[in-house]
Amino acid sequence: MRDTTLETQLRLLILQTESWKKLHDFITYALDKSKPIISAEQEHQFTEIRSILLQEIGHAFKELDLVAELSGKAMNVLQRASSVRGVRELSGEETRRLESDWNAVFTRVGVVQGQLKARRRELLRRSALRQIFLRIFGRKATVR
Amino acid sequence: METRLLILNFDPVFQDRALAMFDAMRKVETRIVRTLAEAVYILMREDFDLFIVEGDAAVAIEQTIHTRQHFPSLKIICLPQDAVNETLVNQASEQNILLITTDCSDRRLRRRLRAAVCAFDRTAGPAAEGIDPCHSLVGNLNEFPAAEVLQMSCLSQRSGRFTFKSGRGNSEIYLHHGLVRHAVYGPVEGEPAIAEVFRWRQGRFYFEEGIISQVQTVTRPWAHLLIDNLQKLDETLQLVSVAGQR
Repeated sequence: MRDTTLETQLRLLILQTESWKKLHDFITYALDKSKPIISAEQEHQFTEIRSILLQEIGHAFKELDLVAELSGKAMNVLQRASSVRGVRELSGEETRRLESDWNAVFTRVGVVQGQLKARRRELLRRSALRQIFLRIFGRKATVR
Repeated sequence: METRLLILNFDPVFQDRALAMFDAMRKVETRIVRTLAEAVYILMREDFDLFIVEGDAAVAIEQTIHTRQHFPSLKIICLPQDAVNETLVNQASEQNILLITTDCSDRRLRRRLRAAVCAFDRTAGPAAEGIDPCHSLVGNLNEFPAAEVLQMSCLSQRSGRFTFKSGRGNSEIYLHHGLVRHAVYGPVEGEPAIAEVFRWRQGRFYFEEGIISQVQTVTRPWAHLLIDNLQKLDETLQLVSVAGQR
Protein backbone atom coordinates (compact mmCIF):
# COMPACT_ATOMS: atom_id res chain seq x y z
CA MET A 1 0.00 0.00 0.00
CA ARG A 2 1.33 3.42 -0.88
CA ASP A 3 0.98 6.39 1.41
CA THR A 4 -0.35 9.18 -0.79
CA THR A 5 0.94 11.99 1.44
CA LEU A 6 4.39 10.47 1.43
CA GLU A 7 4.32 10.04 -2.35
CA THR A 8 3.24 13.68 -2.82
CA GLN A 9 6.02 14.89 -0.53
CA LEU A 10 8.56 12.79 -2.41
CA ARG A 11 7.35 14.15 -5.73
CA LEU A 12 7.68 17.72 -4.44
CA LEU A 13 11.17 16.99 -3.16
CA ILE A 14 12.30 15.43 -6.42
CA LEU A 15 11.03 18.44 -8.35
CA GLN A 16 12.72 20.81 -5.88
CA THR A 17 16.02 18.92 -6.10
CA GLU A 18 15.90 19.03 -9.91
CA SER A 19 15.30 22.78 -9.93
CA TRP A 20 18.05 23.49 -7.39
CA LYS A 21 20.45 21.35 -9.41
CA LYS A 22 19.65 23.25 -12.58
CA LEU A 23 20.14 26.55 -10.78
CA HIS A 24 23.49 25.31 -9.53
CA ASP A 25 24.55 24.37 -13.07
CA PHE A 26 23.97 27.97 -14.12
CA ILE A 27 25.74 29.38 -11.07
CA THR A 28 28.73 27.14 -11.76
CA TYR A 29 28.73 28.26 -15.39
CA ALA A 30 28.54 31.90 -14.37
CA LEU A 31 31.43 31.55 -11.93
CA ASP A 32 33.63 29.80 -14.48
CA LYS A 33 35.54 32.70 -15.98
CA SER A 34 36.95 30.46 -18.71
CA LYS A 35 33.47 30.43 -20.31
CA PRO A 36 33.12 34.01 -21.45
CA ILE A 37 29.87 33.85 -23.37
CA ILE A 38 26.55 34.28 -21.58
CA SER A 39 23.79 34.08 -24.17
CA ALA A 40 20.30 35.52 -24.02
CA GLU A 41 18.98 31.96 -24.17
CA GLN A 42 20.93 31.04 -21.04
CA GLU A 43 19.63 34.11 -19.23
CA HIS A 44 16.11 33.12 -20.31
CA GLN A 45 16.50 29.59 -18.96
CA PHE A 46 17.99 30.91 -15.75
CA THR A 47 15.04 33.27 -15.26
CA GLU A 48 12.67 30.35 -15.93
CA ILE A 49 14.27 28.28 -13.17
CA ARG A 50 14.27 31.21 -10.76
CA SER A 51 10.62 31.83 -11.54
CA ILE A 52 9.75 28.16 -10.91
CA LEU A 53 11.62 28.15 -7.60
CA LEU A 54 10.14 31.46 -6.45
CA GLN A 55 6.64 30.15 -7.14
CA GLU A 56 7.14 26.75 -5.60
CA ILE A 57 9.40 27.05 -2.57
CA GLY A 58 6.67 28.53 -0.36
CA HIS A 59 4.24 25.71 -1.10
CA ALA A 60 6.83 22.93 -1.18
CA PHE A 61 8.56 23.93 2.06
CA LYS A 62 5.20 24.34 3.78
CA GLU A 63 4.16 20.83 2.72
CA LEU A 64 7.47 19.44 3.95
CA ASP A 65 7.50 21.50 7.13
CA LEU A 66 10.78 23.15 6.18
CA VAL A 67 9.65 26.79 6.02
CA ALA A 68 11.41 27.97 9.18
CA GLU A 69 14.59 26.11 8.36
CA LEU A 70 15.07 26.80 4.67
CA SER A 71 12.86 29.64 3.50
CA GLY A 72 15.33 32.40 4.41
CA LYS A 73 18.33 30.66 2.88
CA ALA A 74 16.45 29.81 -0.31
CA MET A 75 15.31 33.42 -0.71
CA ASN A 76 18.89 34.63 -0.13
CA VAL A 77 20.09 32.41 -2.99
CA LEU A 78 17.34 33.53 -5.33
CA GLN A 79 17.83 37.20 -4.51
CA ARG A 80 21.61 37.13 -4.89
CA ALA A 81 21.45 35.13 -8.10
CA SER A 82 19.36 37.59 -10.06
CA SER A 83 20.90 36.67 -13.43
CA VAL A 84 23.81 34.66 -14.83
CA ARG A 85 25.68 37.90 -15.51
CA GLY A 86 24.81 39.12 -11.99
CA VAL A 87 26.32 35.99 -10.45
CA ARG A 88 29.51 36.50 -12.44
CA GLU A 89 29.81 40.03 -11.08
CA LEU A 90 29.34 39.04 -7.42
CA SER A 91 32.22 39.75 -5.05
CA GLY A 92 34.21 36.89 -3.51
CA GLU A 93 32.41 37.17 -0.17
CA GLU A 94 28.97 37.24 -1.79
CA THR A 95 29.84 34.24 -3.94
CA ARG A 96 30.85 32.29 -0.85
CA ARG A 97 27.55 33.19 0.86
CA LEU A 98 25.60 32.23 -2.23
CA GLU A 99 27.30 28.85 -2.43
CA SER A 100 26.96 28.27 1.29
CA ASP A 101 23.21 29.04 1.26
CA TRP A 102 22.66 26.90 -1.84
CA ASN A 103 24.53 24.07 -0.17
CA ALA A 104 22.45 24.37 3.03
CA VAL A 105 19.18 24.18 1.06
CA PHE A 106 20.34 21.36 -1.20
CA THR A 107 21.75 19.29 1.67
CA ARG A 108 18.60 19.56 3.77
CA VAL A 109 16.34 18.77 0.80
CA GLY A 110 18.53 15.76 -0.01
CA VAL A 111 18.48 14.49 3.57
CA VAL A 112 14.68 14.76 3.82
CA GLN A 113 14.34 13.01 0.46
CA GLY A 114 16.47 10.14 1.74
CA GLN A 115 14.42 9.88 4.92
CA LEU A 116 11.17 9.78 2.97
CA LYS A 117 12.53 7.14 0.61
CA ALA A 118 13.53 5.01 3.59
CA ARG A 119 10.04 5.46 5.05
CA ARG A 120 8.45 4.43 1.76
CA ARG A 121 10.62 1.34 1.58
CA GLU A 122 9.67 0.44 5.12
CA LEU A 123 5.98 0.83 4.29
CA LEU A 124 6.29 -1.32 1.18
CA ARG A 125 8.10 -4.04 3.12
CA ARG A 126 5.47 -3.94 5.83
CA SER A 127 2.71 -4.37 3.23
CA ALA A 128 4.49 -7.35 1.70
CA LEU A 129 4.70 -9.00 5.10
CA ARG A 130 1.03 -8.35 5.61
CA GLN A 131 0.30 -10.06 2.30
CA ILE A 132 2.23 -13.14 3.43
CA PHE A 133 0.22 -13.26 6.67
CA LEU A 134 -2.98 -12.96 4.68
CA ARG A 135 -1.95 -15.84 2.44
CA ILE A 136 -1.00 -18.07 5.37
CA PHE A 137 -3.94 -17.40 7.66
CA GLY A 138 -6.52 -16.46 5.03
CA ARG A 139 -7.81 -13.54 7.06
CA LYS A 140 -6.83 -10.01 7.83
CA ALA A 141 -3.73 -9.68 9.94
CA THR A 142 -2.23 -6.58 11.41
CA VAL A 143 1.48 -6.24 11.60
CA ARG A 144 2.86 -3.46 13.69
CA MET B 1 8.54 -5.02 -13.76
CA GLU B 2 7.54 -1.39 -13.27
CA THR B 3 5.81 0.62 -15.96
CA ARG B 4 7.80 3.77 -16.61
CA LEU B 5 5.86 6.94 -17.28
CA LEU B 6 7.36 10.17 -18.53
CA ILE B 7 4.98 12.99 -17.70
CA LEU B 8 5.13 16.41 -19.29
CA ASN B 9 3.45 18.94 -17.05
CA PHE B 10 4.28 22.65 -17.14
CA ASP B 11 3.19 23.17 -13.55
CA PRO B 12 3.57 19.90 -11.67
CA VAL B 13 3.39 21.42 -8.22
CA PHE B 14 0.09 23.25 -8.52
CA GLN B 15 -1.62 21.14 -11.22
CA ASP B 16 -1.01 17.77 -9.67
CA ARG B 17 -4.38 16.02 -9.65
CA ALA B 18 -3.42 13.30 -12.11
CA LEU B 19 0.16 13.17 -10.77
CA ALA B 20 -1.12 12.28 -7.31
CA MET B 21 -3.13 9.45 -8.87
CA PHE B 22 -0.12 8.11 -10.74
CA ASP B 23 1.87 8.29 -7.50
CA ALA B 24 -0.67 6.05 -5.80
CA MET B 25 -0.49 3.36 -8.51
CA ARG B 26 1.48 0.26 -7.80
CA LYS B 27 4.36 -0.80 -10.04
CA VAL B 28 4.46 2.56 -11.75
CA GLU B 29 7.54 4.73 -11.87
CA THR B 30 7.10 8.33 -12.92
CA ARG B 31 9.42 11.03 -14.07
CA ILE B 32 8.15 14.56 -14.48
CA VAL B 33 9.46 17.16 -16.89
CA ARG B 34 8.31 20.71 -17.49
CA THR B 35 9.21 21.37 -21.12
CA LEU B 36 8.82 19.49 -24.38
CA ALA B 37 12.52 19.94 -25.19
CA GLU B 38 13.42 18.26 -21.91
CA ALA B 39 10.94 15.44 -22.60
CA VAL B 40 12.33 14.74 -26.07
CA TYR B 41 15.88 14.90 -24.70
CA ILE B 42 15.02 12.24 -22.13
CA LEU B 43 13.03 10.10 -24.58
CA MET B 44 16.07 10.00 -26.87
CA ARG B 45 18.22 8.56 -24.10
CA GLU B 46 15.95 6.47 -21.93
CA ASP B 47 13.18 3.99 -22.42
CA PHE B 48 9.77 4.94 -21.17
CA ASP B 49 6.65 2.85 -21.65
CA LEU B 50 4.22 5.73 -21.82
CA PHE B 51 4.50 9.43 -22.46
CA ILE B 52 1.83 11.54 -20.82
CA VAL B 53 1.17 15.19 -21.56
CA GLU B 54 -0.96 17.19 -19.16
CA GLY B 55 -2.03 20.79 -19.62
CA ASP B 56 -4.35 23.16 -21.47
CA ALA B 57 -6.16 21.23 -24.20
CA ALA B 58 -4.81 23.05 -27.26
CA VAL B 59 -1.22 23.20 -26.00
CA ALA B 60 -1.20 19.62 -24.69
CA ILE B 61 -2.56 18.17 -27.93
CA GLU B 62 -0.14 20.23 -30.00
CA GLN B 63 2.73 18.93 -27.86
CA THR B 64 1.59 15.32 -28.24
CA ILE B 65 1.31 15.71 -32.01
CA HIS B 66 4.77 17.28 -32.07
CA THR B 67 6.15 14.36 -30.08
CA ARG B 68 4.47 11.86 -32.39
CA GLN B 69 6.46 13.32 -35.34
CA HIS B 70 9.67 12.40 -33.54
CA PHE B 71 8.60 9.12 -31.93
CA PRO B 72 6.23 7.26 -34.26
CA SER B 73 5.70 4.20 -32.10
CA LEU B 74 5.65 5.77 -28.63
CA LYS B 75 2.49 5.27 -26.57
CA ILE B 76 1.18 8.76 -25.88
CA ILE B 77 -1.63 9.83 -23.58
CA CYS B 78 -2.97 13.38 -23.47
CA LEU B 79 -4.73 14.71 -20.37
CA PRO B 80 -6.33 18.02 -21.35
CA GLN B 81 -7.39 20.14 -18.39
CA ASP B 82 -10.21 21.92 -20.20
CA ALA B 83 -12.87 21.11 -22.79
CA VAL B 84 -11.63 19.66 -26.08
CA ASN B 85 -13.30 20.57 -29.36
CA GLU B 86 -13.99 18.06 -32.10
CA THR B 87 -11.14 19.21 -34.35
CA LEU B 88 -8.59 18.55 -31.62
CA VAL B 89 -10.15 15.16 -30.86
CA ASN B 90 -9.83 14.20 -34.53
CA GLN B 91 -6.25 15.41 -34.70
CA ALA B 92 -5.33 13.36 -31.65
CA SER B 93 -7.11 10.31 -32.99
CA GLU B 94 -5.31 10.56 -36.36
CA GLN B 95 -1.98 10.59 -34.54
CA ASN B 96 -2.88 7.57 -32.41
CA ILE B 97 -2.93 9.60 -29.21
CA LEU B 98 -5.17 8.50 -26.37
CA LEU B 99 -7.22 11.40 -25.00
CA ILE B 100 -8.42 11.17 -21.41
CA THR B 101 -10.61 14.04 -20.33
CA THR B 102 -10.08 15.19 -16.77
CA ASP B 103 -13.31 17.12 -16.21
CA CYS B 104 -14.78 14.35 -14.09
CA SER B 105 -14.78 13.19 -10.50
CA ASP B 106 -11.54 12.01 -8.88
CA ARG B 107 -12.84 8.50 -8.68
CA ARG B 108 -13.69 8.32 -12.37
CA LEU B 109 -10.41 9.93 -13.41
CA ARG B 110 -8.46 7.49 -11.22
CA ARG B 111 -10.28 4.60 -12.87
CA ARG B 112 -9.60 5.95 -16.37
CA LEU B 113 -5.92 6.48 -15.68
CA ARG B 114 -5.52 3.08 -14.12
CA ALA B 115 -7.24 1.46 -17.09
CA ALA B 116 -4.98 3.35 -19.51
CA VAL B 117 -1.81 2.31 -17.70
CA CYS B 118 -2.99 -1.30 -17.26
CA ALA B 119 -3.99 -1.55 -20.92
CA PHE B 120 -0.43 -0.88 -21.86
CA ASP B 121 1.03 -4.16 -22.90
CA ARG B 122 4.73 -4.10 -22.15
CA THR B 123 6.39 -5.80 -25.07
CA ALA B 124 9.87 -4.41 -24.80
CA GLY B 125 12.53 -6.25 -22.83
CA PRO B 126 16.26 -6.41 -22.68
CA ALA B 127 17.94 -7.03 -25.97
CA ALA B 128 18.33 -10.75 -26.52
CA GLU B 129 21.81 -11.97 -27.16
CA GLY B 130 23.08 -14.91 -29.16
CA ILE B 131 24.66 -15.27 -32.55
CA ASP B 132 23.25 -17.72 -35.00
CA PRO B 133 25.43 -19.14 -37.80
CA CYS B 134 22.89 -17.88 -40.33
CA HIS B 135 23.60 -14.26 -39.33
CA SER B 136 25.89 -12.92 -42.01
CA LEU B 137 26.31 -9.58 -40.25
CA VAL B 138 26.13 -8.82 -36.52
CA GLY B 139 26.87 -5.57 -34.71
CA ASN B 140 26.10 -2.97 -32.08
CA LEU B 141 23.90 0.01 -32.76
CA ASN B 142 26.03 2.26 -30.58
CA GLU B 143 28.94 1.65 -32.93
CA PHE B 144 27.05 1.42 -36.20
CA PRO B 145 23.71 3.28 -36.26
CA ALA B 146 20.89 1.72 -38.28
CA ALA B 147 21.16 4.38 -40.99
CA GLU B 148 24.79 3.47 -41.73
CA VAL B 149 24.19 -0.27 -41.75
CA LEU B 150 21.16 -0.03 -43.99
CA GLN B 151 22.92 2.39 -46.32
CA MET B 152 25.82 -0.03 -46.71
CA SER B 153 23.52 -3.00 -47.36
CA CYS B 154 21.36 -1.11 -49.85
CA LEU B 155 24.40 0.10 -51.77
CA SER B 156 25.66 -3.45 -52.06
CA GLN B 157 22.25 -4.60 -53.41
CA ARG B 158 21.63 -7.07 -50.56
CA SER B 159 18.50 -9.16 -50.09
CA GLY B 160 17.62 -10.39 -46.60
CA ARG B 161 16.29 -9.54 -43.20
CA PHE B 162 17.71 -7.14 -40.64
CA THR B 163 16.65 -7.73 -37.04
CA PHE B 164 17.22 -4.85 -34.65
CA LYS B 165 16.98 -5.63 -30.94
CA SER B 166 16.98 -2.99 -28.25
CA GLY B 167 15.39 -2.21 -24.91
CA ARG B 168 12.51 -0.69 -26.86
CA GLY B 169 11.70 -4.00 -28.54
CA ASN B 170 12.53 -5.77 -31.78
CA SER B 171 12.20 -4.52 -35.29
CA GLU B 172 12.66 -6.25 -38.63
CA ILE B 173 13.55 -4.63 -41.92
CA TYR B 174 13.49 -6.67 -45.14
CA LEU B 175 15.64 -5.74 -48.10
CA HIS B 176 15.19 -6.90 -51.65
CA HIS B 177 17.99 -6.17 -54.15
CA GLY B 178 19.07 -3.11 -52.19
CA LEU B 179 15.55 -1.73 -51.67
CA VAL B 180 13.67 -1.70 -48.40
CA ARG B 181 10.57 -3.80 -49.01
CA HIS B 182 9.01 -4.25 -45.61
CA ALA B 183 9.58 -2.95 -42.07
CA VAL B 184 7.83 -3.93 -38.89
CA TYR B 185 8.13 -2.84 -35.28
CA GLY B 186 5.42 -4.24 -33.03
CA PRO B 187 2.12 -3.06 -34.45
CA VAL B 188 3.86 -0.38 -36.54
CA GLU B 189 4.61 -1.22 -40.17
CA GLY B 190 6.25 0.52 -43.10
CA GLU B 191 8.02 3.85 -42.95
CA PRO B 192 7.14 4.68 -39.31
CA ALA B 193 8.90 1.47 -38.27
CA ILE B 194 12.05 2.56 -40.14
CA ALA B 195 11.83 6.00 -38.54
CA GLU B 196 11.73 4.35 -35.12
CA VAL B 197 14.85 2.27 -35.73
CA PHE B 198 16.74 5.33 -36.96
CA ARG B 199 16.52 6.74 -33.43
CA TRP B 200 17.90 3.73 -31.62
CA ARG B 201 21.36 4.27 -30.25
CA GLN B 202 21.63 1.11 -28.18
CA GLY B 203 21.03 -2.50 -29.04
CA ARG B 204 22.16 -5.09 -31.55
CA PHE B 205 21.45 -5.94 -35.14
CA TYR B 206 21.67 -9.12 -37.20
CA PHE B 207 21.41 -9.63 -40.93
CA GLU B 208 20.22 -12.89 -42.46
CA GLU B 209 20.93 -13.17 -46.14
CA GLY B 210 18.22 -14.40 -48.48
CA ILE B 211 15.09 -14.00 -46.34
CA ILE B 212 12.57 -12.17 -48.48
CA SER B 213 9.28 -10.70 -47.33
CA GLN B 214 6.13 -11.40 -49.33
CA VAL B 215 4.56 -8.32 -47.80
CA GLN B 216 5.46 -4.91 -49.15
CA THR B 217 4.83 -1.95 -46.88
CA VAL B 218 7.59 0.37 -48.11
CA THR B 219 7.54 1.64 -51.67
CA ARG B 220 9.82 4.67 -51.69
CA PRO B 221 13.48 4.35 -52.71
CA TRP B 222 16.05 4.03 -49.94
CA ALA B 223 17.65 7.39 -50.72
CA HIS B 224 14.34 9.18 -50.06
CA LEU B 225 13.80 7.30 -46.82
CA LEU B 226 17.33 8.05 -45.69
CA ILE B 227 17.11 11.78 -46.39
CA ASP B 228 13.66 12.12 -44.78
CA ASN B 229 14.59 10.21 -41.66
CA LEU B 230 17.93 11.93 -41.20
CA GLN B 231 16.15 15.26 -41.58
CA LYS B 232 13.62 14.24 -38.92
CA LEU B 233 16.42 13.10 -36.66
CA ASP B 234 18.17 16.44 -37.13
CA GLU B 235 14.95 18.24 -36.18
CA THR B 236 14.66 16.11 -33.05
CA LEU B 237 18.27 16.79 -32.10
CA GLN B 238 17.74 20.50 -32.74
CA LEU B 239 14.73 20.46 -30.44
CA VAL B 240 16.67 18.80 -27.64
CA SER B 241 19.83 20.85 -28.07
CA VAL B 242 18.52 23.53 -25.68
CA ALA B 243 17.85 20.98 -22.97
CA GLY B 244 21.10 19.17 -23.69
CA GLN B 245 23.28 22.25 -23.36
CA ARG B 246 22.21 22.72 -19.78
